[in-house]
Amino acid sequence: MHGEYKMPGGKLVVIDLEVEAGRLTNVQLSGDFFLEPDSVLHAIDGALDGLEADLPQAATTRAIEAVIPDTAMLYGISPEAVSTAVQRALHGEHKA
Amino acid sequence: MSRTTWRDHDWQLIHTGAQTPSQHMALDAVLTDEVGAGRRKPTLRIWEWASSAVVIGRFQSLRNEVDAEAAQRHRIEVVRRISGGGAMFIEPGNTITYSIYAPLSLIQGLPFSAAYAYMDKWVLAALGELGIEAWYQPLNDITSAGGKIAGAAQVRRAGAVLHHVTMAYDIDTSKMLEVLRIGREKLSDKGTKSAAKRVDPLRSQTGLPRAKVIEAMIDTFRRLHGLHDDVLRAEEIAAAEACAAEKFATPAWTADVP
Repeated sequence: MHGEYKMPGGKLVVIDLEVEAGRLTNVQLSGDFFLEPDSVLHAIDGALDGLEADLPQAATTRAIEAVIPDTAMLYGISPEAVSTAVQRALHGEHKA
Repeated sequence: MSRTTWRDHDWQLIHTGAQTPSQHMALDAVLTDEVGAGRRKPTLRIWEWASSAVVIGRFQSLRNEVDAEAAQRHRIEVVRRISGGGAMFIEPGNTITYSIYAPLSLIQGLPFSAAYAYMDKWVLAALGELGIEAWYQPLNDITSAGGKIAGAAQVRRAGAVLHHVTMAYDIDTSKMLEVLRIGREKLSDKGTKSAAKRVDPLRSQTGLPRAKVIEAMIDTFRRLHGLHDDVLRAEEIAAAEACAAEKFATPAWTADVP
């Protein structure tokens, strides 16, 4: 399943995932955003992996926020953008 | 740490023979770290390409961005760089690519987007002298009335900032669209039918050979910021070769985001 969210300014936040037994699996975040340190990318994948597929979006956002250090720099990506892309992947809204 | 100015630094120029895409990726990593550690003076490096390449951004999905079959058919090497941003399609002679390796003090305290424009002020001046009115389109595009000219990306690590830019000199847009998937989506998304409309390369805008454009850019940098001719040191070349073999030329890195 594939979902995209286009940030104001044009950067694309993309989520690819599968659902098994009601939980997210094989979650992959990607896009042309900027993120430092770069290890945060796979930390977000890890935070999303195993979440319940019917979790409210706000809870998904909080799970993402929890793995982003205060010192991280984000441009063209936000926890809300990622959780929106997750919702779109789950509900078949492919377009940004 | 207080902010430094361009003139506080003794800028070095590296413009060597053609190198492979993975060597370029490795040189960017090694030279950024050398400047960060204070072993190398701040440096401008002009790239020359030994082969065609697609350079994807640090966080881009390999399969979402690149048509692997088309890339193979055109003998295009796909590499992943250490900075974020979008994919670049490169053929030798068709782009002008440069990197600036600077101490973090140069952009200390600047907002994220201001740091981009600041690092390329000299390029806008150089383009102006070549008759092209160009400006920064936040975050990371250099554009003109005719269309986009260049894309920039920055990454900060260990006391240094890497700022690298790929400018379209001449471009085979049909080949680019065969190889880059996102190109097709972005074009359809923007309702632009002609790819040539989105990117307006330097060749058509200046009428000058690529080498002359590079020469003019170097002259402008030298005049504005000062610049001494330099070469890569043997240990830098060795470190970059090791780094390419261990990381940038490996499928594990290129497919880090499959």
